Amino acid sequence: MSERRPFHRPQPRHWWAHKPYLAYTVRELSGVAVAVYGAILLAGLICLWRGPEAYAVYRRILSSDAAFAVHLVLLAAMLWHVLTWFQILPKTMPKLILRGRPVPQRQVTAIALLVAMVCSAALLVVVVAIGVTS
Amino acid sequence: MRPTILHHPAPKRSVAPVFWLLFGAGGMLSALFGPALIILTGFMLPHGWGVPANFSDFPHVLAFVRHPIGKLVVLAVIALFFWHGAERLFLTLKDMRAGPPLLLRLMTYGVAALLTLVTIALLLAIGF
Amino acid sequence: MSDATIPSKSIELRVLRYRPASDREPVLVSYRVAYSDDMSVLQALQSIKDTQDGSLSFRWSCRMAVCGSCGMMINGEPKLACNTFVRDLAPDAVIIEPLQNFPIERDLVVTVGDFVKKIESIYPYIIPKVAKPVEDGAHLQTPAQMAAYESFSDCINCMLCYAACPQFGANPDFIGPGAMALLQRYNGDSRDGGRQFRLDQIHGEDGVWACTAVGICSEVCPKQVDPANAVNQNKTNSALDFFLHYVQPRSQP
Repeated sequence: MSERRPFHRPQPRHWWAHKPYLAYTVRELSGVAVAVYGAILLAGLICLWRGPEAYAVYRRILSSDAAFAVHLVLLAAMLWHVLTWFQILPKTMPKLILRGRPVPQRQVTAIALLVAMVCSAALLVVVVAIGVTS
Repeated sequence: MRPTILHHPAPKRSVAPVFWLLFGAGGMLSALFGPALIILTGFMLPHGWGVPANFSDFPHVLAFVRHPIGKLVVLAVIALFFWHGAERLFLTLKDMRAGPPLLLRLMTYGVAALLTLVTIALLLAIGF
Repeated sequence: MSDATIPSKSIELRVLRYRPASDREPVLVSYRVAYSDDMSVLQALQSIKDTQDGSLSFRWSCRMAVCGSCGMMINGEPKLACNTFVRDLAPDAVIIEPLQNFPIERDLVVTVGDFVKKIESIYPYIIPKVAKPVEDGAHLQTPAQMAAYESFSDCINCMLCYAACPQFGANPDFIGPGAMALLQRYNGDSRDGGRQFRLDQIHGEDGVWACTAVGICSEVCPKQVDPANAVNQNKTNSALDFFLHYVQPRSQP
């Protein structure tokens, strides 16, 4: 009766593909889209370095329908990254105490998302403004 | 009187903070400016939407990348985005048990490090 | 007597049983239990033990989500059996297993020794900043200072967060969410001076850096302790400590 023989159950190999962990896996892969976008910029830099002809090819590819579709997918992934990034933000911070009470994490996320929208909008406004004045 | 504390030996320190900070910097930069950057370089510049048609001409972009601030922007965006993606891809591949950790590290952090060096080299080769 | 308290309905419970003396590996055993609307899964298990099979083993004590003893997987989710109600699971059969990621001792009883060692390793007590004799009175604290750590002191060591953590599942040496919540309970306490001792315990590969911010630990916590917050804010602290230790080398405590 008192025999001790602990049984070790193995972790399911595909845990990351199932609820509730699937959302986490999708979130991580949306971060990979950030690097894919970085690769597109790096390709542009390489073409710029090689000279005007190579750069013209890069521009032609970038204005194609395929590139448009790729950027739409990347934008969707990037927006998911933005949302999930700021959902985790309050987890990485000490509790914010305002007037003796902890600030709800959803409020931190909402404010951070607002700041992010302002940052992105400001960048676009600045670029458009430079275009108008030049 | 300070109470006697039973001390535990400290484990070996991990170098993970270095990669975690690069991941975090890339994550924050992309979270703040990523959507605008994709809209700008993926839609507005190639199609001349909201910007002058000559905005993405070779001389214009070359001048931007030759400017020291332009160089810093390009390096920060490309390198940090790679480090961000590398950390996330590494962790996901590790979760999927896709291979030995050393190989996975080379495929992710290794590539990010290499491409960071390539970016720096290109920015220097393009000149000031 | 109202209808609610008369057991008029029945439900099938499939319990993962493991008797180390006779079972090579755990097997699901089916039981049918009469239940009333106020019956918890713990009570259903107790009824099996009382009336069907006295050898069924499970831990329990308080019956009111305070002691943290009756954690188990109920339909694949880590739950306290005492505050999970049969009426919410009926009419389908319910699968009851021991907590995921832990070695099974017997039936629904898992090994807790490693978890206790982890808790011991992070100095789970206040280490005063300065020695203060009793005659000098209490260590005072404002409500805001208390709010900074209070929720982390609500942990009942039920280990549901460990059962939910895939990184603990992959690496049993990972310090894990529960012990980190306790660490933050002390590191966040204004009366405590042991922060550095504790940070030194978690700066390794099996410390905070084994966490990938999956976050399910906080979702399954029955006391809203938010262990994911405890782990992840200490990544920031540990990263800062990583660079500071080059600038101001310290002797080991």
